[in-house]
Amino acid sequence: MAEDREILREIWEGRLPICFTLATEEVSTPIAPDPFYLMVPRLTYFPLVTDKVRRHFVRCVVPEKHDNEMWLEFERHPLKWHYPIGLLYDLFVTNSELPWQITVHFDKYPDNKLLKCPSKDVVESHLMHSLKEADALKHKNHIMALMQERDHKQLWLGLLHDRFDQFWSANRKLMEHSAEDGFRYIPFRLYVPQLTSKPFVQYLVKPVENEKKLVVEDLLQRANLNFESKGPFQVVIHGIDIPLETPLQWISEHLSYPDNFLHLCIRYSPT
Amino acid sequence: MDNNPVNEPLPDTASVEDNEQNLEMPSHTDESLPAIPNSAPATPKAENKTPKITVVLCPVGGAPIMRQRKWEVDSTQTIGFIASFIRKKLTLQKSDSLFFYVNQSFAPSLDQTVQNLFDCFGSDGKLILAYCRLPAWG
Repeated sequence: MAEDREILREIWEGRLPICFTLATEEVSTPIAPDPFYLMVPRLTYFPLVTDKVRRHFVRCVVPEKHDNEMWLEFERHPLKWHYPIGLLYDLFVTNSELPWQITVHFDKYPDNKLLKCPSKDVVESHLMHSLKEADALKHKNHIMALMQERDHKQLWLGLLHDRFDQFWSANRKLMEHSAEDGFRYIPFRLYVPQLTSKPFVQYLVKPVENEKKLVVEDLLQRANLNFESKGPFQVVIHGIDIPLETPLQWISEHLSYPDNFLHLCIRYSPT
Repeated sequence: MDNNPVNEPLPDTASVEDNEQNLEMPSHTDESLPAIPNSAPATPKAENKTPKITVVLCPVGGAPIMRQRKWEVDSTQTIGFIASFIRKKLTLQKSDSLFFYVNQSFAPSLDQTVQNLFDCFGSDGKLILAYCRLPAWG
């Protein structure tokens, strides 16, 4: 168990170097601003780490847009702020290029593709409701309901301030389960943009059935998608290629994002 | 029990609902949809083959009631779509807030699809969504 705790910390400490650049058509100063480099945690959300990015670029756009909400784009994909950063990278960056080149916008917020995020409170609310949904799947929402407000704050502040111990002191309660059966269902989201028009698919999968421990391959089988039709593929989370025989209960306890969901991306090798 | 999201209206409406005809929710509302994912259009008009899911909309916390509670919704539609549909039905202003809850516990993200929620939290062949004007469950 001691070594497994090390895995939690390793995942927590995953970072991505990002190079932010202001969209050229939005530059209003004679000289374009320098790019802004930042090393960000994979597990967090963009609005929690981009205050400095905003301050760096906002002075270079026309004054009428100074109060606009900033949004980010990578290769024409508007980046959803309510997805964890590591998930966005695993989803969109197929050539593993680093630093990740992201374009910053203050104009033409794509309302039809991105939710609005006027403040960090919105991120907190999103995190809390994701945790409740995950807990509804794992424990019929009993643990989140029994937790005190203080514990909920620990989860939020732990993520906001990048404090592993603070977050996990509360999060371990959400990971409790009976030894033999595990969670009721595994909270996961499977991203397969190559095979479905939905942003992700989600369904019920138990960690143990008929006393058999289910693995990642079992989870994929129940998606009713023909994964092989597009060639060999990998299941990726936190940039890691997950073996298909990984037990679902273990991966849920150790590789879930702070919202307690496993965000699994299907990745095909570029042809 | 966990799949029974709303306490108050269910007992007296169960019988009503049985007789109630399911209406199909139009695939498009006039206003632009607040949060449709970056995927292809959800309902290709040409072929009307998208499976439907029965969604029951339950007002809670004093939210305005809609005459029709049961709707047939394209399985690929999102909570954001239902939100704009209700806003239109209840003629809510843009500044009016509207909240949705599943299972008396969590608010699904606006870009979550009806299909995913039904697969995980549906019961008796339908998905029950509570809606309200003020936050009801934290």
